[in-house]
Formats: sequence, C-alpha cells, structure tokens
Amino acid sequence: MDYNLREDVKYAASHEWVRVKGDIGIVGITSYAQHQLGDIVFIELPNVGLVFEKGSNVAEIESVKAVGDLIMPVSGEIIEVNKTLEGTPELINSSPFEEGWILKIKMNHSEELGTLLSVQEYKKIIESEGH
Amino acid sequence: MIIINGVEIITESKRTPLYDSHIALGAKMVDFAGFIMPVQYESIIKEHVAVRNNAGIFDISHMGEFLLEGEDIFPFLQYIMINDLKLLEPSKGQYSCMCYENGTVVDDLVYYEETPQKFRMIVNASNVEKDFKWLNSHIRDWDVKITDLSKQRARIALQGPKADDLLQTIVDTDLSNIDRFYFKHCKLNGLPIFIARTGYTGEKGFELSMENQHALTIWKTLMELGAKPAGLGARDSLRLEASYSLYGHEINDKITPIEAGLFWLVKPKEGIDYIGKDVLLEQKSKGTKRILVGLTLIDRGIIRQDYKIYKDGNEIGYVTSGGFSPTLQKTIGLGLIDARFKEINTEVQIEIRDKLLKGLVTSTPFYRNV
Repeated sequence: MDYNLREDVKYAASHEWVRVKGDIGIVGITSYAQHQLGDIVFIELPNVGLVFEKGSNVAEIESVKAVGDLIMPVSGEIIEVNKTLEGTPELINSSPFEEGWILKIKMNHSEELGTLLSVQEYKKIIESEGH
Repeated sequence: MIIINGVEIITESKRTPLYDSHIALGAKMVDFAGFIMPVQYESIIKEHVAVRNNAGIFDISHMGEFLLEGEDIFPFLQYIMINDLKLLEPSKGQYSCMCYENGTVVDDLVYYEETPQKFRMIVNASNVEKDFKWLNSHIRDWDVKITDLSKQRARIALQGPKADDLLQTIVDTDLSNIDRFYFKHCKLNGLPIFIARTGYTGEKGFELSMENQHALTIWKTLMELGAKPAGLGARDSLRLEASYSLYGHEINDKITPIEAGLFWLVKPKEGIDYIGKDVLLEQKSKGTKRILVGLTLIDRGIIRQDYKIYKDGNEIGYVTSGGFSPTLQKTIGLGLIDARFKEINTEVQIEIRDKLLKGLVTSTPFYRNV
C-alpha cells in the first residue's frame, strides 16, 4: 500500500509532513497517519504566536478510537492554524496533504530541514511499522 | 505471528471462523479478549451509520456460549442470577447479571430458555473461563450440567432498521412472530440457525448462533443482501449511544448493578436466596454513594475512559466510557460519580490533558430505536 504519499513534501518519522516555501512551513499529518487513526472527530489546535521546539507536542488529534499527537517536525512560530478543521476535522482523513493541512509555521532553524525524510525514506519507515 | 530474531512466535490470539473474511475485507485487526478481531473495516463512523440507517453485521464469535442441561436449572439460576427466572418462559431470553456476595459483578449475560431442562447462555468474551468456573462452583447437589460451546459455534449480530426485511428473505420462519428477547431455532437457506431478537446497538435486530462450519456462508449471504460488516469500534460507539453497560467499564468486580443504574435488574425474589441479594436490595432501597450518569461535553473535545470528573474543584468521579457520537454529532460519555451530583443538567468539569472542560449530567440513553 503506498498511501498516496506526495513527492513535494518532506516527512518526519513521527508521521508529519512539511511543505516548505522559503522560511514558511505548512505542516500536516501523512495519509498513512490518518489511516492509522481512523475517523478523525476533533483536533485541538495551538494558539497563533506560540513558538515550539522541534519534537514538541503541538496539537492533539482525536479519532473515534484513538488520540494522536502532532509533533513539531521542525522548530518555529505558529503563524496560522487551519480553523476549518475545528468544524470539519474529517478533512484530515479525506485530504491529508491539501485541505487537511494543520499549521503554518515560520521556521527559525532552517538547518533542521536536513533532518527530515524524503518520500522514499518515509516509505521505508511505514513499511517497517506495518505488519 | 511475531518474528523476533528470526524465530517465529505464534501469538495465542484465537481466530474466529470469519477471520479470513475480515482479512479479505481489509479490516484493521486488534487483539480483544484473546481473539484477533476487526476493530473497523473502512470507517467506524460509516459502519455506525449503516447500522442506524440500514443494517450491519458484527462477528461476535469471540463471545462465550454455554449449554446448561438438567432438571434443576431453575433453582440453580435463581440462586446465581439477580434477575427473576419467573419472568422467563420457553423460547424467551433474559438479560441478567451474576454477582459476588458484596454485590459487584461477575458478568452480565443473556440466557435463553429452550426448555425448562435446557438453557443457552451467552457471556462476555473476556469472562468465558471465569464464568464457566463460577457457574460450576455453585452447582452443589443440583442436577445441572454445563457445556462450553464457545469453540464449536459462531455468532453474528445483525442489527439495524432493515434487519427484519433482510433476514426474512432467507429464513423459513415468520420473524414477525419473534418478539423482543424471544428466539427460535430455524433454517437459513437450509442451514440450522438460532435466531434471537436481541442486540447491543439500540436498533432492531437479531443475534444469530450457528455451527462454525456454516458461519462463513451465512456471513457472506448477509453481506450479499446488503448488511455492512461492522467492527468492534462501531459496536462500542453504538452501545454507548444506547447506554448499554460494557463489562470492564460500567460494571466490573468493583461496581454493583445498582451503582451502574441497572435498578430494574435487581429483583426482590421473595423467599429465594441469591448471591448478592442482601447488599443489592439494600442499595436499591437506600441508594448508593456513587451512581452512573450520562455525560455530554459542552466544550469541544473528546472524553475517554478514566478521565477524572470534578465539581467546583473537587474530584467526584471518573468517566467509564466516552467518545464521539456519530448520531448526535457531539461528545458523550458515561461516568461513575458522587450521587449528590446526579441531577440532570448538573454542570461538571472533566479533566482532559490537564485542562478542565465543561460537561453536563445528561439523561440516558442518548439514543435508542428499539
């Protein structure tokens, strides 16, 4: 199963993706992660303006059966959150790489991007996790 | 199967006769009570909605099935069950609990009277061995023999408003003659089957029991007729909306049926001694310090089992089950709280990840259509 992974984003082993535009990063969870969680029914978003370190827990994603953490894939300041998800969190299931984006961050340690994974590297991780 | 350092470790989880079908349907499988079971096929919410609007089928073969035979089943069960067997008659089933002397619950279950000398009993998957021992240890000199049929027979729940129409096309009996909690042995496309009008979803429907060898054929036939396979996830969200107790959550060996709000289940049975009777009748007349209540979350969030419940800064109880209700489109739950705060619409606070969210004590069930 390839989970319709995208070539145009970078991945974190904790199942987030980042789409980089200059020093701005758009962050969401991967198609594999939403599939593992199942039907998403609630997301607790952080406040705009807060600064989070890479690796810190920045949002909670609740599905019918489980709770998932959104881990900051790189450090930065939250400059926007996807408010649409408060009413329609299921967009994370139906469109994890587009309409289901979660955060926009201003990255303050762009060198951290080098720690992120390519789609091929990420595929190996989910293959080793499954089955 | 787990492979560690190249060595295959066969897990002890058992497969039901429908296992291959679950895998073929792409189900997400989980370990549950020693069985590997489907938690969902495609989507818990879609499966939930299918049961509310149409019809769904659940593999409940992990549950236990006992056959009781003998001349003394009536006095035996009157002694071990809290419900009153006098309300039973042949072809009828009864929901009950068996309790310890202190009133807490060994298990909740349904038994069906085939004849006064032959009963069928369906128990929780996680309690099969415990129940079998418990029952056998109380037979004394009564003429009762208990056989565990769990491994020879499979069980399927067919639930939803279309369940009657769907099943009627393939069975040789008039289903409209089977009232709620009654059952019948008949044929489904020529295969012998036990059909009871019971369920755990808050919808009309049936629970079916059959020999293992016929399970897959019957399952596939029901699927072809339009019943949607539904997993343990939907089973849980449906029963929560209907506010049915789940052993290990609302009832267990530390909670009594009265605390869990099952007042109607505790019968006086005058002149008959039964296990737990003194404690339970006293609780029924005097009330208990703790009581199970329905909860609705006002703030946005999801409540789950074991989250703490507060009133004005004081801890007053905990959530026994919680989740998102697909039918009501809001967060609901059940909680065991200090009975002083049981009034409907009492505002409480529920702790979710160090935050206190507002909730309301709510009347139950949240939803039922039976």
